[in-house]
Amino acid sequence: MSQFQRFLAKRLAISIGLTLIAVSVIFVVLRLLPGSPFEALVTSGNLNQQQINEIRALYGLDQPMWRQYIDYMVSILTFQFGYSILRSQPVWDVLEPRLVNTLILLVPALVTTAILSSALGMYAGWNRGSLLEKSSIITTTFLRSTPVFITAIFFIIVFAYNLELVPAFGMRSVTASPEGYVDTFLSIDFLHHYLLPFTVAVLYYSGDFLLLARNGIVEKRGSEFLKLHKAKGLTEMQQLARAGRNSMLPILTYFALRLGMIFQGLILLEVVFGWPGIGRELVLAIQQQDYPLVQAAVFIMALAVIIANLAADVLYAYFDPTVSTGGGSSA
Amino acid sequence: MTLLDVENLKVTYTTEDDTVHAVNDVSFSIDEGVNYGLAGESGSGKSTIAEALLGLLPGNGTVERGKITFNGRDITSLSDTERRDMLWEDIAYIPQSAMDSLDPVMSTGDQIIQAIQAHRSVSDEKARSRVEELFEIVGLDPDRIDDYPHEFSGGMRQRVTIAMALALEPDLIIADEPTTGLDVIVQDKIIDKILEIQERMDSSLLLITHEIGVIAETCDELSILYGGKVMEQGSVDNVLVNPTNPYTMGLKNSFPEIDGSNEDAVAIPGSPPNLNHEPTACVFKDRCPFATDECGDSHPDLVSLPNRNHRSACHHVDKAAQMRRDAKNPETWDIPEAEDTATDTGEVVLETDNLEKYYEQSQSLLSQFRGEDPDYVKAVDGVSLSVRRSEVVGIAGESGCGKSTLGETMALLEDPTGGEFVFDGEPYEYYQNSNLEEFRRKVQIIFQDPFDSLNPRQTVRKLVGEPLTIHDYRSDEHEQAIIETLEKVGLTPAEKFLDQYPHELSGGQRQRVAVAKALVLDPDFLICDEPASMLDVSLKVNLLNLLRELADTEDIGIVYISHDLASLMQVSDRLAIMYLGRIIEEGAVDRIANQPKHPYTTSLLSAAPEKDPTTDRARVLLDGEPPDPVDLPTGCKFAPRCPKAEEECWATEPALDESEDEDHRAACYFPDDETAETAVEASQTDDPDQSTNAGSLSD
Repeated sequence: MSQFQRFLAKRLAISIGLTLIAVSVIFVVLRLLPGSPFEALVTSGNLNQQQINEIRALYGLDQPMWRQYIDYMVSILTFQFGYSILRSQPVWDVLEPRLVNTLILLVPALVTTAILSSALGMYAGWNRGSLLEKSSIITTTFLRSTPVFITAIFFIIVFAYNLELVPAFGMRSVTASPEGYVDTFLSIDFLHHYLLPFTVAVLYYSGDFLLLARNGIVEKRGSEFLKLHKAKGLTEMQQLARAGRNSMLPILTYFALRLGMIFQGLILLEVVFGWPGIGRELVLAIQQQDYPLVQAAVFIMALAVIIANLAADVLYAYFDPTVSTGGGSSA
Repeated sequence: MTLLDVENLKVTYTTEDDTVHAVNDVSFSIDEGVNYGLAGESGSGKSTIAEALLGLLPGNGTVERGKITFNGRDITSLSDTERRDMLWEDIAYIPQSAMDSLDPVMSTGDQIIQAIQAHRSVSDEKARSRVEELFEIVGLDPDRIDDYPHEFSGGMRQRVTIAMALALEPDLIIADEPTTGLDVIVQDKIIDKILEIQERMDSSLLLITHEIGVIAETCDELSILYGGKVMEQGSVDNVLVNPTNPYTMGLKNSFPEIDGSNEDAVAIPGSPPNLNHEPTACVFKDRCPFATDECGDSHPDLVSLPNRNHRSACHHVDKAAQMRRDAKNPETWDIPEAEDTATDTGEVVLETDNLEKYYEQSQSLLSQFRGEDPDYVKAVDGVSLSVRRSEVVGIAGESGCGKSTLGETMALLEDPTGGEFVFDGEPYEYYQNSNLEEFRRKVQIIFQDPFDSLNPRQTVRKLVGEPLTIHDYRSDEHEQAIIETLEKVGLTPAEKFLDQYPHELSGGQRQRVAVAKALVLDPDFLICDEPASMLDVSLKVNLLNLLRELADTEDIGIVYISHDLASLMQVSDRLAIMYLGRIIEEGAVDRIANQPKHPYTTSLLSAAPEKDPTTDRARVLLDGEPPDPVDLPTGCKFAPRCPKAEEECWATEPALDESEDEDHRAACYFPDDETAETAVEASQTDDPDQSTNAGSLSD
């Protein structure tokens, strides 16, 4: 086990290093942007120089750069994201609901597609050359290569306007005013709004998983150990299960990475469906140079990707006994 | 009673533009409790037969006709479910490559449990205790059933598959090349194990292999296959001692003998037949020196020879005795007799003195801080060797003994970490400082695998010409240089091969291209790392003869690295035996073959199977596996496995010149010729199969 712990410690150290680099890059890049969040206020003539200085001092922007950097690092690493400059609201209060909205849409979509498309892909790879294989590859490649907003608009036209099965826009009816997350997400109204963007997201992600799973199986088919499994008298499905287990690692890795990237939202999808997610919020914040908001949002995204990477590494070691001895004794 | 009866089996493979007739009307039958051998070169259809029996044929393979009766049931007409029930319960299978045939992400125990539970509803606990029992039987540590395949060495993995095959006590075990790719010593142990177990379980065995020696030692009856046809079949004693078919004679004669006798191996010239059409003539006609017009008309039927269990498919069975005599003579096969002139060896071209190659083991940060010395894997540990021009020096040893690393270090593909290295009068430092290119031209290396070492997207012209471009050698006569070299290695007419891609060539031709690639720069020194291990016997002998000839005519020094003692004996002038990074015995081939001094050499020599079923071989089964190269014993490295080890051996390591004989040196305190006898006695007294070591070497 000590070997596994060492492996884990090494990965953790790398992740922490990466996080520090990522937040530093965010800091530098934002400071490099021309202008400042107060530019708009200044040019409109509503503030005089004195007031500007006061506000700048309030946000600590009059401090020397290194001082700002240290304050920034300390705050952000303790998850104190501060106040949004333009919204005069704590940053977390702005981000949290948006992030939750995005995750509630994309995480189930990703999990669903990871399971369904991988299973379909494995089956397709096992029956290589079948009609199912060919058609599934063509369909998913098509869905993957079409920009997501085109698919989304197409679905809206068909299901929302022509068939009028679901609403086209938003996360809830205009009249609904639920309190708290449970109320919001456990309503028929929400489900009604949820179906269409969920379906489009599932379809959008499906291609990668299907192809990965299919290729994995195709590669493993004809390998010696499957022949032995077959000779042992295992059924086709049992053999497929073994082949699937053996080609699972790339899928797992890809899933973990995708999961990390979900925290960035799917901006185009959010825009088309009017989904109040984090992607839209981030674009807006960058436009307005709302430093604290952008910093916090980008930090969360970077952290998510790094943690997902770490998880992928650990899962890898767990699921593939050859990666580290002693790491997968019960897999 | 007949257990398995195969009648007129015909199997074809459909490829994109052709139908390959892999097995053509093969018939044989196996009685209960009998060991049956199927022998043949690659492409003879022997594995296809096994796959047809097990229903494991790939998608494009079909059983065209024929009947396979097992225990009275025709298994070609079984439904999928019925067949699945029969597999493993009645017929188990030991696959070809133990290295790849275990599921890498499932523990070995679970894989066997899976086999048991697929057929019988047994509780997990019962299945587990059965697995422990099986591990015990095959000589593995029962506590290791939760280990994964990669934690076992090659030989131990093969034991796991054997344990798996035994799990349900089947009536028939089909073993497809169970020892190919394993070292002689391990091979010997595995065969011994299979026989021992099979004796106990009283099941039948169908052994498929290209090694006639293995069949001679283990089987009662056999069939010799060629081009998907049975050439000769019957009891092992009859077929191998008195072959009546020219192919069997050729095959038998092409096995190099280990005992250093003067009968040189005689290769069968030519290559296996093209099976794109149903055979109309005798499949062996094109390569057979005794072929007449009659042979072109039809493939001969199997003719039973009177009064013995022996059948042969040849139109000229009646002339068998005459053919047997002629077949021993290379001229019969149209092979020019090699001139047996005592080769004059020239000056020393490469010399190493205490050459070392250590690999540092990764260390934890903590011990680095503490300033602890890292552990080293001593892959090459003080090797002193000199090679002269026109001399072939063989280096032999088990896998993991460091022989490949030695080859790579000699080629400076790896930087030596210690010792002296002199090539062509200049030391290692000279080449390391800016003269490496010159060295790279003069020293060439030929790798093990002719399938991987040639770029599949380059034509032969490009492959062979590439070194010329790199070294700007004979730049204005490229084409001529390429053609000359191809002809030198026997690819004639060279023009025919120039525009071919590797996949269009046969295995033997590919390896010749690899040799040509090395020779095109007129090197002074050639390092061959197991160049023949992937080739069939007849091709192997061709390559060996080619190398021998090159050494004699081109005046180059050759180092030939292999674990196959028989081929080393065939090709080398001098032999060095390696064990754990050190040379433990060195001397002229004849001396080593006839009077080995080191007990390790003795056991290596005795492990090679004997192709003559009438001779009995004294088996020296070595204990365990080589020790962990990181944590070596202080004294003689071989002491833990040595039957003769005494206190002195454990205390200090013997030097190579212990035996005070300049021409035949051995690092042993007790070198004598009694070794063989004492070793046998020792191995009989204690259980030879206590493999407890994971053998981290092979991982």
